[in-house]
Amino acid sequence: MMKMKIKNHLSSVIFWAVLAVTLLLFAQKNYYAFIIALFGVYAIVATALDVLFGYTGQISLGHAGLFAIGSYVTALLSLKLSVPTAIALILGAVAATVVGALIAIPASKLVKHFLSLLMIAFGQIVYLIINSWSKVTGGSLGLMNIPKLNLFGFKFDSYIKIAILIWLVLALLLVVKVRIINSRVGSAFIALRENSVAAKGLGINIKKYKVMAFAISAFMTGLAGGLYTYVRGFISPETFNGTQSTLFMTMLLFGGICTVEGPVIGAVVLLLVKEVFQSLALYQGLVYALFMLIVLFFLPNGVVGIFKSMGGVVAKLKKKNKKEGQVNAEN
Amino acid sequence: MDLSLIIKLVVAALMIGSVYSALGMSYSLIYKASGLMNLAMGNFLMLGAYVGLTFYSILGLNIGLSFVLTFIVMFIFGIIVQRYLIDSLLKKGAAFSYIILLTAALGLAMENSAILIWTPYTLYFPAIFNTASVEIAGAHVAPENLLVLGIAVFSCVGLFIFLNKTKFGTAMRASAQDQVAAGALGINVGLTKDVTWGLASSLAGVIGMALGPVYGVYSTMGAMIAQKAFAGSVTGGYGNIIGAVVGGVFYGFLETFVSAFITTTYKDVISFTVLIIILVISPTGLFKEKVIE
Repeated sequence: MMKMKIKNHLSSVIFWAVLAVTLLLFAQKNYYAFIIALFGVYAIVATALDVLFGYTGQISLGHAGLFAIGSYVTALLSLKLSVPTAIALILGAVAATVVGALIAIPASKLVKHFLSLLMIAFGQIVYLIINSWSKVTGGSLGLMNIPKLNLFGFKFDSYIKIAILIWLVLALLLVVKVRIINSRVGSAFIALRENSVAAKGLGINIKKYKVMAFAISAFMTGLAGGLYTYVRGFISPETFNGTQSTLFMTMLLFGGICTVEGPVIGAVVLLLVKEVFQSLALYQGLVYALFMLIVLFFLPNGVVGIFKSMGGVVAKLKKKNKKEGQVNAEN
Repeated sequence: MDLSLIIKLVVAALMIGSVYSALGMSYSLIYKASGLMNLAMGNFLMLGAYVGLTFYSILGLNIGLSFVLTFIVMFIFGIIVQRYLIDSLLKKGAAFSYIILLTAALGLAMENSAILIWTPYTLYFPAIFNTASVEIAGAHVAPENLLVLGIAVFSCVGLFIFLNKTKFGTAMRASAQDQVAAGALGINVGLTKDVTWGLASSLAGVIGMALGPVYGVYSTMGAMIAQKAFAGSVTGGYGNIIGAVVGGVFYGFLETFVSAFITTTYKDVISFTVLIIILVISPTGLFKEKVIE
């Protein structure tokens, strides 16, 4: 049993090492470093969504709104109020957390359709406001010339530097996520996803844990929004529309919910698709939709699920061989 | 205050409100029949507009015939969606949230397919009537707007009568309440589900076609309308047909008068904020439908 555990850890360490090395090799070119930084940003959002949807079962089609709050608060603080960039980043994430928790309080008592409606309405409100409030948010033109991130005097002035930072943040958040999920809080999340009535019967404070899941998810999403701002140096409302929320959800489902690697893989694959289809912008939405439909109908556990079931088959074969070997030996 | 302005506003509010009402009824219909939510409803409306445009403007058919054909095409489309997407995913034992995502993906696919088939540009839907405006108590109103109002009201009343006064409508309501019991009583539950989706789809499609001459036809024309209609049906009490009508008209008036007297830029922000407030203080809506866990 112990050996099994170490083996599991080993394989995931290898996975992450290979991923990191490959990405670093590609990151030599500026454009690739930029894309890799974006992979990290979206992987954080997909991970945030996994905490909320995967483990707690709360559907959100308004995460683009939280992403926008993190992004715009960070940008506005550092650009217009000259707040130190690192503090602006944290404040952006805090703002998203506060808003997330505020929506969660009423949302926590709603059933699924109403929750998703509330989140859609929330996403729309944020999008409409950043699009219309030109004096502050720059309207549909967005905000430009946002300063580079500066952490304790170290300036993240190239894509490669910020890409490394983002992936380190992602790694940290993944560790945090695993620790949360393996804690009592995580068990409570899963309990209310599986059966909220039974969870209540066991004395779990449903409202408290739903708000907590929302707040954790919103914090990560807001942080990702702030990092996005520093990667791009330019933000406009079109990044934060309703389709973006659907895209986040597709990333999560495609990678596989309730896993560590899943949301990361999903974010990387879907963003790659986006880059490949850049010139064919018309097909982009269609491709996302097809990805989602394929996942829903054929890959209920996402891409990670395929590997897991392959692992299962290999293990079965091994067992079978071993058994046969034993039989042969007996003969 | 100018009386003709008020009349104009009321007609505009009634027009858009009746559109929300009719689409809100589609939402309620599907919710009543299967407890599901269709996020692609706005895209059904858009598809109807494109199909109608194809029959009327491209193939040059008569307007009445175009409406009938759009109704039929959308009815079949709804049945296909229900049978081959919704039902087959449900049979795989998918959780409720996955159906919501399925409809979101379907909507995205429809929107982008429409762009590929009918170009990304806003298509001009030729005027249906010869006169540019009709006069109601001194206010000039485009006859197409009145047509939208007429069709929406007609659909609402027709659907209400169909559900409550015909045998098949009763069967539909019965299977919505308890599928197993309805099946045991000899009701063809599969058929009622098909008809429900078919009706919801063709209702949205016909409304979309009627809106064509008013707004023009483009791939995202249904998005905002569908969200407001959904807001309306929730405000009235989700799943309650009369609630959907009242809620839809409420948002029509709210939006029209807010943009006339307060702000046009933030009219949608105000509508969605009202929706959130209603969801927070009274999620059961005006007609007290059960929505809380």
